[in-house]
Parts: sequence; C-alpha cells; structure tokens
Amino acid sequence: MKFVDEFRDAELGRVLAHEILGAVEPGRHYKIMEVCGGHTHSIYKYGVDDLLPANVELVHGPGCPVCVIPMGRVDDAIAMAHEPGVIFTCFGDMMRVPGSHGTLTDASAEGADIRMVYSPLDALRIAKQNPDRTVVFFAIGFETTAPSTALTLKRAKAEGVPNFFCFCNHVTIVPPLRALLESPDLRLDGFIGPGHVSTVVGARPLEFIPADYGKPVVVSGFEPVDILQSVLMIVRQLAAGRCEVENQYKRIVPYEGNLAALKIMSEVFALRPHFEWRGLGFISHSGLKLSEDYADLDAERRYTIPNVRIADPKACQCGEVLKGVIKPFECKVFGTACTPERPIGTCMVSSEGACAAYYNYGRFAREKQLV
Amino acid sequence: MSNVVSSSELARTDGRDEAFHCLTCSDEGVCMRVVKLDTARDLALCEDENGARSTVEIALIDGVATGDTVLVHAGTALARAEGMAA
Repeated sequence: MKFVDEFRDAELGRVLAHEILGAVEPGRHYKIMEVCGGHTHSIYKYGVDDLLPANVELVHGPGCPVCVIPMGRVDDAIAMAHEPGVIFTCFGDMMRVPGSHGTLTDASAEGADIRMVYSPLDALRIAKQNPDRTVVFFAIGFETTAPSTALTLKRAKAEGVPNFFCFCNHVTIVPPLRALLESPDLRLDGFIGPGHVSTVVGARPLEFIPADYGKPVVVSGFEPVDILQSVLMIVRQLAAGRCEVENQYKRIVPYEGNLAALKIMSEVFALRPHFEWRGLGFISHSGLKLSEDYADLDAERRYTIPNVRIADPKACQCGEVLKGVIKPFECKVFGTACTPERPIGTCMVSSEGACAAYYNYGRFAREKQLV
Repeated sequence: MSNVVSSSELARTDGRDEAFHCLTCSDEGVCMRVVKLDTARDLALCEDENGARSTVEIALIDGVATGDTVLVHAGTALARAEGMAA
C-alpha cells in the first residue's frame, strides 16, 4: 500500500527543478521560509535544496513543536514527574529535551515513572490500567496535535476517568508568524505554508501574510515533489507580481480547515494571555491552556510547579535558527558540543529540528560548497 | 512505476536513516487505511503503508468508511485523503 510514490518521482522532480530555474530572475535572491519542521526534515532528507538554483535560499521557521518548548516548561514537567504516585507520559522526543537540570530521561533514571506514548489516547489507556496512580500527559504541538489532546480530554471527562491530567503546552502557528514578520532582522520573499496545521485551521488564517505584509504563501505537502512545486508557485507569484495564499496540498487540506476539530478545540482550550517560545520570547495569545470546563483535568492546577523562566544556554543559538536569521552550521556549538546524541538546544533534538536535519543530512553538502 | 525512487534510495544515506523516524509525530502526519470501524466509540483500526496497525480516533471526520485513506496525527484522523487509492 503506497500513498506517496508519485510525489517522490525523480523525473517529475527534475522537471520541476528545471521550471524553477526558468522562472527565477537572474540576479535576484529569493529567500523563502518553510514554516513547518516537517518540511525542513523532508528538504534535507531528500536533498531538495540541491535541486534549487543557487539564488533560491530556503530558511527554516519556528514550526518544530519540540524545538519551541522553553527550558522552564521542561523543568516544570520534570517536577511533576517526580511527584509521588505520578506516571508521566510524553512523546518520545520530549524525553531528550534538556531542562536546566537534565532531561526527562535523566529524571527517569533517577526513579521517576516516565513513559513514552504515541498518542494522548495511549496515555488515557495507561490511566485506566492504573487507577491507583495519577497519569499526567505532557501535551505539546501545534494545531495538528491539539485536536487529538482535546478529543482525549473529552473522552476522559465523558468516561469519568478521575486520575488523568494534562500538562498543556499546545501552541498556535499564526502569532509566531506575525512576530517573525515584525522582526526587523529578517527579510523574506515568501512562505511555504504549514501543511498539516492547515488541515485543521485551513488556509484562511494565513491570508494576513499577503494582505498585511505583502508576501506570498503556498500551503504545501511534505514530499519532495510537493515542496518543489510549492517553490515554483511562490516564484511564479513573485514573477507575476501576485501575492496571495495558494494551496498546493489540496489532496489533504480543505481551504476552510476541519470545522469539527476547531469546534472541539474551542470547547476544551482557552488562549493564554502569553506563552514563552524558546528563542523567540513571550508571544501574546500564542499558547493554549485548558478551559474552565476542563479545569479539573489541568495538571498545572493540581500540582505546584516551579514555573520559573530559564534563560537559554549562552552558547546555544536556537533562537536565531528558529527565526531563520542564521543557518544551523553558523551556530558556535553545532556538531561539536551540540549533537543529536548530546543536544544543548532543542533544534538538535527532534528529527524535525533544523539543526538535527542539517546534522543528519546536510553537513556534507555544506562541505561541498566550502571547497 | 519504474521511475519511482524509493525513500531509501532518494534519502541521503549516512547509515543512520533508520533511526530518524519521528517519535514526536506532532507535525508528521501519516496516511493510514481504515481496516475496521467501531462507530459507537468513534474509533477505527487503521493500517499504515508498512502494515503497522493502531487505534485511531475518527470523531473529527464525517462518514469514515472501511477502506478510506485518512491523515492521522497523534492517533487522531484529521482529514480524508482525497484521490489516494489505498
């Protein structure tokens, strides 16, 4: 059973690369940001950057859900995991994200009961299997995972599971994009829009980018042919003087999004006044907390957490990487003190992080350029 | 298709590719085929392209049927994949 073969078609990729070459203006430098970490991973995994003309530069945005979690929230998670009787559940990558005194993996080695899950539903199952323990789910992610957490919380409430709690760190994509566009140190020509976030929120919330900032956006799929086609659509918009939201990923993304998902999110979550993003600082209305109706499932209300803001390590430049200001290899500790095995910054942890993508797939290409 | 390049051929190989499947799953959706439905509980048994099966929430999509292909994120089906044969 294959879903993606035609989107990895090498010949089609070469044709698109040739069309991009024909569409770019010689002498003009194109700087295009892919917002989503999934795109970053695909670009380096499949070598999409090598197929692009030298004057088309892809820069990486803040869309890796693991990378944007600040150290203080990891410390809060570790404090909850050490509470008596707690089974702390989280996605695998979060276990390796450093807090100020180690990771959740370290906390596990110190005796905390921390279990990796693939979905919030798995965490709820653990709660039902362990009625004498308290199960906390470390919820992270953009609008792609938030509906999943919302459904599970609704299920927990409906089934009356008394020992299931959620430590909510869900974030939304539009506020950080607006913050990036307001940033004076970044000049961009267009955006490859987030594919799967748009399945939930639709393409409409991205319309402010062309309307207010004059940049084209193309919502894109994640296969190499998808990304090449999206770059071509952006370059063609720029060449024609157009500036709008286009949807390359129509096979998955309806322009209006998933209304059922948006409805359940609005029932279960409420916007926080502000939320801290690693490297980007506090951004207004960018994070979600549990709504009053779900307050009794909120781990932050059940446990006293340190809730201390921790400054990022001085050597780490994840903030500049997340804003697309520097390339990962321009960070002082990239590939030396900071590697996927021993990450200092979050961008090196998740496979969707820009630093990890460069480290695993892009190092050799960079050496080639330097020769 | 003869000119299809498999992911392992097209991916840059540094001997570590197999270790880099995404555990976060937060922004990596997986297309899965619906094998069996439990409509009373809004759940479905789904299968990915490698044959791995898992339980998926289907409450957010209307009229899911056996054989449909759905985009799954963190155990929840978010969209029906149009025009994709399972």
